[in-house]
Amino acid sequence: MDRRELVFMDSTSNKFWNIVLEGDSHTVTYGRAGTEGQTKSKSFSDQETARRDYEKLIAAKMKKGYVDADSATASTGDDHDSVPTLAFRSILKSDDIHQNAKTFIGKRIADYDPEKKAAPGGKTVYRFRSDWEEANCIPHLIHFLETDAAAEAIGIVIGNWAGDDSEGDPDEVIDLLCEKRDQLSSLKAIYLGDIVSEENEMSWIHQSDVTPLLEAFPNLELLRTRGGQDLAISNPQHTKLRGLICESGGLSAEVVRSIGRSEFPALEHLELWLGTEEYGGSSTVEDLQPILSGELFPNLKYLGLRNCEFVNDIAAVIVNSPLVQRIESLDLSLGVLTDEGGRALASLPTNGKLKHVSLHYNYLTNEVIKLLGKLPFKVDMSKPSHMDDDEEWRFVAVGE
Amino acid sequence: MANTTPMTSREACDRILAGETKAIHVDGSIDLSGADLKKITCSISCNDLNLSGTAISTLPSDVKVRSRLNLDNCKQLERLPSGLTCGSLSLRGCTFLEQLPEGLSTWFLNASDCLRLSDWPKKASVINGNVQLRNCLEIRSIPDWLGPLGQLDLAGCANLHELPPGLVVSGWIDIGGSSILSLPLSLQAVSLRWRSVPVTHSIVFEPEKITSKQVLAEKNAELRRVMIERMGYLKFSEEVGAKELDQDTDAGGRRQLLKIEIDGDEPLVGLACRCPSTNRQYFLRVPPHMKTCHQAAAWMAGFDDPTLYQPLIET
Repeated sequence: MDRRELVFMDSTSNKFWNIVLEGDSHTVTYGRAGTEGQTKSKSFSDQETARRDYEKLIAAKMKKGYVDADSATASTGDDHDSVPTLAFRSILKSDDIHQNAKTFIGKRIADYDPEKKAAPGGKTVYRFRSDWEEANCIPHLIHFLETDAAAEAIGIVIGNWAGDDSEGDPDEVIDLLCEKRDQLSSLKAIYLGDIVSEENEMSWIHQSDVTPLLEAFPNLELLRTRGGQDLAISNPQHTKLRGLICESGGLSAEVVRSIGRSEFPALEHLELWLGTEEYGGSSTVEDLQPILSGELFPNLKYLGLRNCEFVNDIAAVIVNSPLVQRIESLDLSLGVLTDEGGRALASLPTNGKLKHVSLHYNYLTNEVIKLLGKLPFKVDMSKPSHMDDDEEWRFVAVGE
Repeated sequence: MANTTPMTSREACDRILAGETKAIHVDGSIDLSGADLKKITCSISCNDLNLSGTAISTLPSDVKVRSRLNLDNCKQLERLPSGLTCGSLSLRGCTFLEQLPEGLSTWFLNASDCLRLSDWPKKASVINGNVQLRNCLEIRSIPDWLGPLGQLDLAGCANLHELPPGLVVSGWIDIGGSSILSLPLSLQAVSLRWRSVPVTHSIVFEPEKITSKQVLAEKNAELRRVMIERMGYLKFSEEVGAKELDQDTDAGGRRQLLKIEIDGDEPLVGLACRCPSTNRQYFLRVPPHMKTCHQAAAWMAGFDDPTLYQPLIET
């Protein structure tokens, strides 16, 4: 009997998929994490055919981004309260950029409704947001902070804070969270900016200095932000932070440099959407040198340098990076990766810990896709179906 | 670093400009680009330091920059301290600088347009990142301690003839306009560029195999220009049957103004002439609106009005 247990987490879902192979049949159990799930069995004419199908189904799931439940990124070790690194994943595929998050740190997200009693036990992550008609973000957050559920909240999602003013910054939200930190005694994860283009384009979102959040929440493990304008991390220090995600259409060199001189000794997941010049992106591959040097982040497992116009330059340098030797997952997706960068990636180190490489959304030709397919780890080279390549104009995934 | 407390970038700038002698420590960046600064009189430690366009002639040895050190266009810069260590060193247009410091350690080095740069240190560590040496005319060799690198830009290094065996570059090498005629074994699969245009190995190393048919079939205008440059304008204009716009005689003999129509690009117009001293034949590209040989020669000499161009003698 053979079995395989896989899990999948990103900001739209948290699910499991198990398969057991017994003789000439296999049984698949799958569903949302925390549920029993559904079971389906299938029989085959002989053992050999059953095994082939078993292997094929596993390969298909792995290709979609499932990982082994006992791998370093997915497991929580002995501490069952801890959040696995896998749960820090933002989005995997470019199409998901246009959807609001459905899960956060593996938990279901619900828009907060003051009329309903908040679920206890931190099982649901609440989202607070305004829209064109109603500026509910702050009032609902104030209401929530007075409930008993606030003290049990593990994660919190702040959606569109700006309502009908696309230029509003999140200072008021940040101040409120910091001021009421004692009411949020269990808080481990903050998503500041679950905002999709329908609400406000990513490059229009005004962010702010997030340092006050790092200072107010010493137990924070994940900070995820969306929007590059005015984003700053003026004092980049935190002893427990395990995940840092800055999604943007253009990230300023100053933010990249502050991460390059940061003290985040516990960091496991670092994801930067570097973007394009048109939308405020001003970093170059030189700014990434302190990160790639490997002198920072002894515990890093995932490095994402995404949505990047100069990802070819990163590819040429990253293969020499001591950091890449010891991380498990490298993500260069959503950028303008062409054959020049793809060929460079063919010399990624194969004797380190690297297991997953995502090059989803790329401009690679079949020749280079074939070349990279020979690498001894999983390389996602998928492209969205609507992606067209006219050679002259090549864009990052988010550069509206 | 331990005895100094961080100050703001602004404060650090003011102190350096005022001739501070006590140590300066800043967590982030110090930007003194374009400042009126001739000499640094204190030790500095910071993440990024930008001194581009200043009149400094040297850098004190106790300047510690963790990430980026920018000395672009420091025209007076003569010497850098030995053992200089940073993440990225940019020296573009430091036209007075002749040598890099002994024991230099960095990932990124940009010394483009350092026209006098000629000497490499005996020992240094320039690894993992990119090295740009565009138009470094005095560079005659590449040291064997260089690399592995991401990218290597040697475009316009006209006096550079070869690369050391074992050099590793994972991204691309640009050798447009250098004198390199072959690559070491370690670089047989490297991506090549010719003055920023991605090209095949064959275009660079087997220019005699390029045909005018291939050139005209190439859709990319940049690549087409490189292909014509590599096969030679004269050969190309002969093969495609260029139209003669004008002809006359100068000190080198007969000269012709030739025009070639190219799909999707401006027409290629150039003056085919011989050098009076060497008798070598040249095809010199001129703007497409030129009508006569004399007008084209005048344009090359910097005259917009050809009637003003009346050379006494051409050599």
